[in-house]
Amino acid sequence: MTAVALVTQTRTALADAVREVRLAWNRRATAAAAAVALAAALPALPLGIGFDRIAGDLYLAAAAVGLGLVVGLGGMPSLGQGAFVALGAFVTAHLAGSGWPTELAVTAGAIAALLAGGVLGLLVGLLRPALVAVVTWLVAWLVALALLAFPSLSGGAQGLVLEDAMSSTVHYELALVLVALAILLYVAAARAPAGLALAAAREQRDAAETLGVDVSGLRAGVFAAGAGIGGLAGSLAVYLAGVADSGAYGPLLSAELLIAVVLAGAVSPFGGLVGIAVLSTLERIAEVGDLGSLQTSRVETLLVAVIVVSALGATDRGLLPSLADWRRRRAHPPAREVAAPRAAARRIESPLLLEAGGLTKSFGPVTALENVDLTLTGGTVHALIGPNGSGKTTALRVLTGTLEPDAGMIIAGRRDISRSDVRTRAELGIVGTPQATAVFSELTALENAVVGARLRLRDARGARAVFATPKARGDLRVAYAAALAALETVGLREVPDVLAGELPGAAQRRLMIAVALATEPRVLLLDEPAAGGSRTEVDLLADLVLELRASGLAILLVDHNLRLVRKVADTVTVLAAGRAIATGTLDEVTENEAVLTAYVGARRI
Amino acid sequence: VSLLLQVVISGLAAGAVYGLVAIGYVLVYRLTGIVYFALGDLVGLGVFAALLVAAGTGPVTETNVGGLRFLAALVVGTLVCIVASAAAYWLAVHPHVARGSAIGWIAATIAIAYAVRSSIDVFFTRPSYVFPDPIPFRDVGNGGFVGVGGASIQVRAFFVIAVGVALAALATVVLRRSKLGRGLRAIESDVEGAALAGVPVTRMVTLAFALAGGLAALAAVVAAPSAPFGVESGSLLGVKALLAAVVVGFASPVAGFAAGLALGVVESAIANFHVAGLQLGPGYHEILPIALVLAIVAARALAARRPGLAEVS
Repeated sequence: MTAVALVTQTRTALADAVREVRLAWNRRATAAAAAVALAAALPALPLGIGFDRIAGDLYLAAAAVGLGLVVGLGGMPSLGQGAFVALGAFVTAHLAGSGWPTELAVTAGAIAALLAGGVLGLLVGLLRPALVAVVTWLVAWLVALALLAFPSLSGGAQGLVLEDAMSSTVHYELALVLVALAILLYVAAARAPAGLALAAAREQRDAAETLGVDVSGLRAGVFAAGAGIGGLAGSLAVYLAGVADSGAYGPLLSAELLIAVVLAGAVSPFGGLVGIAVLSTLERIAEVGDLGSLQTSRVETLLVAVIVVSALGATDRGLLPSLADWRRRRAHPPAREVAAPRAAARRIESPLLLEAGGLTKSFGPVTALENVDLTLTGGTVHALIGPNGSGKTTALRVLTGTLEPDAGMIIAGRRDISRSDVRTRAELGIVGTPQATAVFSELTALENAVVGARLRLRDARGARAVFATPKARGDLRVAYAAALAALETVGLREVPDVLAGELPGAAQRRLMIAVALATEPRVLLLDEPAAGGSRTEVDLLADLVLELRASGLAILLVDHNLRLVRKVADTVTVLAAGRAIATGTLDEVTENEAVLTAYVGARRI
Repeated sequence: VSLLLQVVISGLAAGAVYGLVAIGYVLVYRLTGIVYFALGDLVGLGVFAALLVAAGTGPVTETNVGGLRFLAALVVGTLVCIVASAAAYWLAVHPHVARGSAIGWIAATIAIAYAVRSSIDVFFTRPSYVFPDPIPFRDVGNGGFVGVGGASIQVRAFFVIAVGVALAALATVVLRRSKLGRGLRAIESDVEGAALAGVPVTRMVTLAFALAGGLAALAAVVAAPSAPFGVESGSLLGVKALLAAVVVGFASPVAGFAAGLALGVVESAIANFHVAGLQLGPGYHEILPIALVLAIVAARALAARRPGLAEVS
């Protein structure tokens, strides 16, 4: 590529970016930009205040925003953010002590925290919230105790002293920029498909994984990013303090950061900033009062703690999200039933043949599935029926890959996928909708579908989408178009911006199908899509399933609703006590003796 | 051999206290699914409440206080901890558990720990305090030490171990036999079922929190005269007991107690032994167990990582 072409291309890309920014610009963006500009101009005004303490608080706020990313977006309640702040601080202090220039020492400190966060993230990404808290809390103690035990690391009681070439005003401006960038990163990450997928996993991890979301990997990445921001804040703050003192980085720092974030609301990008602002304001108010012989600094933390505990008891979502909920409820009354004009489904270019043979699965002494064969062909609907506990859902989960069978083989096309994980199968086009209504209620209908469409993204994954590189932006447009098309297929094109949790039940069930369709599946596994639906809803659903069948999809339908099964199924397999007792058309199986016996006492077909 | 004996006995004495606090963690976890991060600091609160009764807030030298006064201190310390633990459940844990919010109870229990610590801080301003010993162990043997097979062992250690094992046994019996224990087991296996069967769930769980607090405080006050006690000591005790509870996967109170004893011995061994010419020394005895437990949790998480089973218990 010639230099001229490169320049032209860059210019086009930049012009594109500017145009998009201009389109997306709104009053909020103006307000935020004005607030940052005003804050940045403060030192130039004759206020006669020192900026030492404010700069320190802002660095703390940056670490808190990083933690907010981990807690709010990643869904990992970390009690170890202080450990990464400490890591950044001590790495920087050591390097500065051996003569490294400030920029390099700070960069190294941040990178050290980023790497350590990545390693720990690989572990905590696997764990559920209670254990995430335990593990990160232990890490916070490990770091604190190590600093205490080894003076060679921490510089002992006097700490590591370093020289600061920057004035407190410079620190203030730096900290301001850091906080603003951290918040921007949070906003961008939350809007990117990866952020939506993380929000989905926060609510329903299993459902997100069924759609091919690599939850553990994404969480590890977010954890590393949060740790890196914390480390960067720590590295810069240590210059401001002039000394790295091991006493300042105990588990209490981690606890304080988490409390600040949760108090203001982790799901808000501003949570960390507001939380630290609230805490330090409370502290300053407490300092003003004269409490006689008691040491005010000690009473002040007590006061803050008491206020925090009571505030936390009142709301667990945090101040900012509670406020936002309240405002939204006033502005938008909940959505009513949605009319359902639909569009044709996407044609399947190359249908997939899914064959399963000899599937067997036991849970301890209970045999849930015994030697079951199933064949799903493109353009047909295969229904799986049977009494409760007959193994229908087990069969479905074995096919999606969320359960590993004890024996049996699954062939997709010509590939053996018996041991493949959920994600591999999803990429091949084998996708299931989870049982019960498992929409991601805190995302809008469109965002729900984007979580599905994310599976087919090539360039807009992870960090590239967050930083909106030109390629990623093109890819994003495709993903949003696919998501919209999926909504249109199920008849939800009119309500893309309604929160999924506020949709009526029937619409939520159709949305679940849309989310699966957005992954561009070739084999669709539907788990009780008609559960709890009215007659009219079931008929609408039947039309949808027939439409999907006509598009070339291979469909497995697990449902009790025989009205639905009768309308759409080409083949029916009846399960009883884990065994397939009959396969054929619905009329054939209803005349089967074994089937009648299995249903005796329950109901007649 | 003599060193080994000394290491084991002093380790068991420390471990008995870890074990009793670990029983509290396990009990609370099995009933509510929460990790009671405030437990260690609540134990600290109990110890300092007892200290307040026994000797006030002033500097304490290792003089004996009267047996009666110490008894009063023991009762007050335990009661304070029982009440504080139950109150913490009601005020800060119950609302979040009812809402099913993990982030809520994690932040709330940590905030309580923080609040408890700062309230101790208001009255006790020194880094650490020496707790007066009610029983004159110093007069037994050689200045409080006896020689066993060439090893000189603190007499107090035997006393602490005995009290710890007795309390653990008592707790086990209560949890197995009493009506409270049956109710708790019912809640543990199925909360909704227990509620339907007429078990007063909230009252029972409140009692369990009280029991967890009381048991731990009792042990800590008994053990406190063995070593200086500071504001951080409670938190650190909490972390060590948590290690014990995590290692056994919160499986059962007895397992938690046993793991606590083992942790005590391991710590004492790390602090005293040198292996193959490598002297580890006291710097490592707190760090290595934490690192070890983290490695165990990681190994378990990776082993459980099969398709769709990524949520590790």
